[in-house]
Amino acid sequence: MPEAFVPLTDFVNESKSIPRDHPLDKPVAKWTEEEVLNGEIVEAGVVILRTRGCYWSIKEGCSMCGYFNDTVPGGVSDDMLREQWKKVRPTLKGKKYAKIYTSGSFIDPTEVPFDFADEVMSDMSDMGIEKVLIESLPEFVNPKNFAYANSPKLEIAIGLESSNPIVLDKSVNKRLRWSHYVKVCKLARDNGAEVKAYILLKPPYLSEKEAIEDAVQSAIDTAPYVDKISINPVNVQKNTVVEKLWFRNEWAAPWLWSVVEVLKRCEDLPVRVYSDPTGGGTRRGAHNCHDCNKKILEALKNHRLGLKELKGLHCECKSRWDALVKQSALRRNGSEPHGFRSGFAGSRHF
Amino acid sequence: MEPIGHEGLGRLLKLEDNLQTPHVVFSHTDLEESNDLESGGTIKVGKVFDLPPSPLGLDSDKSPYLQLSENIAVIDNAYSIQPKKLVEIAAEFRSEAGYSRLLYAPAVEPSQMPILAYLGVDIFDDLNVELRSSTGWVLESGEWIKHNKQIDDLFSHNRAELNRWILRIRNAISNGKLRELVEITSLHNPRVSQILHHSASLLMEKGARVHSTIRSNDLSLNHPAILDFQTRLSNYEPPAKNMVLLILPCSARKPYFKSSSHKRFFNALREVDNHLALHVVSVTSPLGLVPRELEFCYPAAHYDIAVTGKWSASEIEMLRNQLIKLNPTKHYVKAIVHAGSSSKIMTELVKELGIEVVDTRVDRPSSYEGLEILQNIARMTLSDVPLLNTKDRAKGEAKGLANFQYGDNADFLINSEISGRMPYKLRCGDLAAMSPVVGGFGLTLKGGIEYSLQNGPVITAENFKLVGDLFAVGVKSYKGNWNIGEQVVIKQNDVVTAVGIAKMFPEEMLAMNRGVAVEVRHHA
Repeated sequence: MPEAFVPLTDFVNESKSIPRDHPLDKPVAKWTEEEVLNGEIVEAGVVILRTRGCYWSIKEGCSMCGYFNDTVPGGVSDDMLREQWKKVRPTLKGKKYAKIYTSGSFIDPTEVPFDFADEVMSDMSDMGIEKVLIESLPEFVNPKNFAYANSPKLEIAIGLESSNPIVLDKSVNKRLRWSHYVKVCKLARDNGAEVKAYILLKPPYLSEKEAIEDAVQSAIDTAPYVDKISINPVNVQKNTVVEKLWFRNEWAAPWLWSVVEVLKRCEDLPVRVYSDPTGGGTRRGAHNCHDCNKKILEALKNHRLGLKELKGLHCECKSRWDALVKQSALRRNGSEPHGFRSGFAGSRHF
Repeated sequence: MEPIGHEGLGRLLKLEDNLQTPHVVFSHTDLEESNDLESGGTIKVGKVFDLPPSPLGLDSDKSPYLQLSENIAVIDNAYSIQPKKLVEIAAEFRSEAGYSRLLYAPAVEPSQMPILAYLGVDIFDDLNVELRSSTGWVLESGEWIKHNKQIDDLFSHNRAELNRWILRIRNAISNGKLRELVEITSLHNPRVSQILHHSASLLMEKGARVHSTIRSNDLSLNHPAILDFQTRLSNYEPPAKNMVLLILPCSARKPYFKSSSHKRFFNALREVDNHLALHVVSVTSPLGLVPRELEFCYPAAHYDIAVTGKWSASEIEMLRNQLIKLNPTKHYVKAIVHAGSSSKIMTELVKELGIEVVDTRVDRPSSYEGLEILQNIARMTLSDVPLLNTKDRAKGEAKGLANFQYGDNADFLINSEISGRMPYKLRCGDLAAMSPVVGGFGLTLKGGIEYSLQNGPVITAENFKLVGDLFAVGVKSYKGNWNIGEQVVIKQNDVVTAVGIAKMFPEEMLAMNRGVAVEVRHHA
């Protein structure tokens, strides 16, 4: 592992706070959304189970990740996990595609006990679910951690965030080695799982232009080793370094134009590259001016579902984005003046 | 680089012919972005310099606050750092960056440039101006106006205007009027006014003492020179014990004793027996109370204010504080208030302290009737006050002034043979004499020798025949601390060879190779 960059480690730890109390028998959230499965659009069931959370966030954590806010530091007993599972089953019933998230790694046996995982996998298989998406840090992608007796097709989402070691160290605070990452992608695929890569767009400290370049380069680098790539524009989560920088006006969430730009530049890659911006269109998520947020998000959704290409999008604010990208690397951080996206019109939206 | 002007922590540097700081760089010609995240690109200020890498992974709340390359120091986020924190950081600017690095603040709004220049930033850029231009706003004297008419090339128009704005900042420093420009920009800009508010004590402590006229307004109550004067009043003692405090109004002409009204007061009072036992203190805003001996001291003779006859609540509070600093209960037996529109307020304030006070209740203090009343009241009040002779009074005046000016190091002046009388003829033996230029006692060469023995600031210069001023290139080392505008002693070969007024900060003298370091007043 690369040596830790100490100032950011401290900053991450100081930004965190102890998660407040949560009911142990209830999942964090559950919903359904449209997804693509084998080329056709299906309704997917999405659930977030409440667990102890990501081991890395307990130790240090990443600068943009606030998912530890939803965790239970003492851990959640198997009984309580089963209680949660009972409550999410209706959401998954009748679906072909399931996304089972925890605020950590599903295949970390110290976070989600293997027996419980094995149970829910066979349950889903019995329900007729064809494919299940889970998330994990690369260090847990070991065949024995997902050697389920009976399970739907597995898709493991791994957070690469960036293929640039400097970005990982000084911006994200994630100890991930590229060679190790490549190795586990191969390992997962060799063991019958698909791999989905998460790439960050505009992690903290990076300017809009540096962010676009970094995301595009990371996508190019990782494309040969994965089955699909999700571009995740960084959003402002509670008690994170990102939130602190955002409060201080030293960093702003990326533009939706940047998301579009990255996706366009990744069009020719051999894998599907798409984006579903968390908190899109809000101040804490990727956004443009308030006139075009909805339009662009809709276009991104259509692009994600393979309905329509990202073409012919236009708004007055695009020239502003152009002006910003041109100079953003000179600004030395990811900031921009308040109200710039709406042309300093004094709108109440931004 | 050659420092040619200072105000506050800001400096007017001459870098090359026609190139001075504060300077603005333009992104399309002067800034070059870096190729990777670990280097910082370049900046062109005359020559091309490397910029330090951007502050990846750093917490802007923690020191060190500046990113340094060989020639440039960058204060990132200067436009957004919390005002109080920014001032805290500004206090560390020169200890982190030194004097030979140019301090660059990227992406700040034009309206914040004057206050940042006042706190020591040398270089600005046009990044925010470019963004505003792209949305159709016009720059006008540091403010943004949404334009109605089409301007052909808004970008170059705004760049030219930004250049003019920077020129105005430079001009303000060279005329000693930067404070005014900062105050103007702070009027309807909460951020600038917060920074200005919090920077008062820093500027008092570390700022250059520029002896330019203060054209006062409500904001001037927080002017560092005013605050400094007010603070030092608590160390002040009147010329003798058991005197009668006479509070007079201030005058438009400075120093007050030169004004026609104060001349009339004096002429009326000198006819009264034992008039030397009257201690004249003028009441004024924004300074508060100015004892006669301190009328030369900056800024008592260097301000101007609109006279409205109205006193605001904050001014009255300020007067109350100043009166307490003067400690009338300890120093005076009685008080007379003859201050026109401020009489009522001052009488009440003196009464609060429990001193016997007479209000002459005259609306026009320097009118014939007013003077007659003053004379009569003075006569009655002084009848049972111990006699004070000229010599004792002069001694006391010299002591008060020396203490006010030199603080703990004043003993050598107080113990000298004091002669003459206020205002112009007062001397401390052959050590110091009154000097309107210095604003109080100006040291002679002999005074300089004594001052250096009393821990006064000493500059050691190279060995050469010192003729005229001392330039930075000739400075070898220094001892003690000072602000620009204070008196310093110059030593060569361990012998005092000159005294003068400092024109640079201590470390700056060592860092610079050009420019006047000390304006010499007396040579050996």
